[in-house]
Amino acid sequence: MKRLLLPALLLLSVSSFAQTELEPVAERKPTASSFLLGIGGTNQLDTYLSPMEYTGTQVSFMTQSERMTHLANRHISFQSTFFGAYTSTDNPAETATYTGARLAYDAAWHYNYSPFRNFNLKGGAMIGTDLGFLYNDRNGNNPAQGQFSMDLSLSAGADYSFSLWKLPMQAHYQADLPMVGLMFCPEFGESYYEISQNGVGHDIIFAHLGNALSLRQLLTLDFCLKRITLRVGYLCDIRQSNARSLKYHDISHSFMFGFVRHFQLMKRK
Amino acid sequence: MKRLLPIIAVLLALLTSCQRSDYEYDDTPLGNLDALWTLIDQRYCFLSYKEEQLGFKWSELHAKYSAKLNPSMSRMQLFEVLCQMLSELKDGHVNISTSLDLGRNWSWKEDYPENLDRELRDQYLGTDYHIGSGLKYTILPDNIAYVVYESFSDAIGEGNLSDMLAYLRLCNGMILDIRGNGGGELTNVERLSQRFTNEKVLVGYMCHKTGMGHDDFSEPKAEYINPSKEIRWQKPVVLLVNRSCYSAANIFVRNMKEMPLVTVMGDQTGGGSGLPFSSELPIGWSVRFSASPSFDAKMQHIEFGIEPDVPCSLDESQAAEGKDSMIEEARKQLQQQ
Repeated sequence: MKRLLLPALLLLSVSSFAQTELEPVAERKPTASSFLLGIGGTNQLDTYLSPMEYTGTQVSFMTQSERMTHLANRHISFQSTFFGAYTSTDNPAETATYTGARLAYDAAWHYNYSPFRNFNLKGGAMIGTDLGFLYNDRNGNNPAQGQFSMDLSLSAGADYSFSLWKLPMQAHYQADLPMVGLMFCPEFGESYYEISQNGVGHDIIFAHLGNALSLRQLLTLDFCLKRITLRVGYLCDIRQSNARSLKYHDISHSFMFGFVRHFQLMKRK
Repeated sequence: MKRLLPIIAVLLALLTSCQRSDYEYDDTPLGNLDALWTLIDQRYCFLSYKEEQLGFKWSELHAKYSAKLNPSMSRMQLFEVLCQMLSELKDGHVNISTSLDLGRNWSWKEDYPENLDRELRDQYLGTDYHIGSGLKYTILPDNIAYVVYESFSDAIGEGNLSDMLAYLRLCNGMILDIRGNGGGELTNVERLSQRFTNEKVLVGYMCHKTGMGHDDFSEPKAEYINPSKEIRWQKPVVLLVNRSCYSAANIFVRNMKEMPLVTVMGDQTGGGSGLPFSSELPIGWSVRFSASPSFDAKMQHIEFGIEPDVPCSLDESQAAEGKDSMIEEARKQLQQQ
């Protein structure tokens, strides 16, 4: 088990398949698929709605699948992540509440490199889109803010396999840093009425490190119990923007837990 | 690697540092006054105009009102000081909402005669009038349509309007009475306005703040009313107004001023041409303020109201006889046309 690198990890538990008409084993694509639930705290600021920072709870889910591709002599992996979150936060005086939700999808391609045994480094690019809203339960004409972004990110991470108490384990770390993209941001005092008159396209602006410095970090630990691979982890998700004199941030820290399935994608011949 | 560690640490610190609010104030009397003063200073859309019209300097008001604070004052006392400061703006769209009270300046209507007797108005409607969502209407004995719309918050559908205009189609004219209408939804304003024109009409302009400076505004965007594709009114209209016509009702009067067959009669409207936004203070109180100004078709402010084409007021002696002199004047006007 100590020789586990990413491709090997993906084969930790391989289902049996039936058989004859399927593609040759050498062409199969081992895939790791995880499903995680998360709970944690979040801090939100959206100066279109309020100058106050709201704090509260976030519940989330994340499904992630990762497989090696044939590219670059099987050094490039493809990762697909679907993330959803629901937040409920209060202002410092606890007289108003934000209710929010987000859905995000990211697709990443990583080049994998193993500098030494049991250790895998990966780095690459990610494209993603994010859609959500934040609703303030007592604002009159500006009760909610829509959130939309499309990003091209740098993505890097590492995997390390080891054994503890005779249990095979693997630690993963990944950080995703959006570099450029598009995002929705109304003008400082622009009303919904004007947004509807001007068209939403008027408020889609160029996003970059200077006005939308965000970072997502995920640290997880996989371990096997009997035939199940469990995953626990910590997600630090920092979404920020500072554009058109409006500031926004959503900083969440979540404990994630779930399971990992490993299987192979095969095409019928 | 040792050389890289500080760089990595700085990079991580930069990456994980978050945007802070521009309003980091303590929940103290002074912290709340600072927050409110800054909010208005940066986001209120009529500051330069009000300074010019009302003769105050916003920059001087912070010192004036912070002198009235002390750390041990009660919430009610703080509320009163903050409301006094906001009252300088003389804006009905500026409020502080608390569980204690609603801070307001309603001088735009309270300092003037109301020019409305609701009991008298009900006598004209009678008991067999029609109700089409928020619209009440009947036909007066001289074949004049009489329509009352009390709030633009009351939804009116295209079906309501079409049915009403079809019912009233044989009348010689229409009295549209919006006295006491304090505003509501702009979509209802547009929907109703569209029934009184056969052509696309320029009715005004609107803009919004684009930054924190007092004069940081977007380019004014022209606002047009397009004719409705349903039944449209083709006969003379007298629009009855008073000082209580505020906000969306004020915008409706602005629109109707540009319609060819409409005469605006009554008192000057109350104004309120800033589309309001909400915000809040560290103490948790909600604050409402004007954020996006509207102008008339000549790019003039209508924040302090719109003058009628035909000034007219409620005559108390006629009221004692059961007559609403403003409705009677409107009927005369329509009969002459």
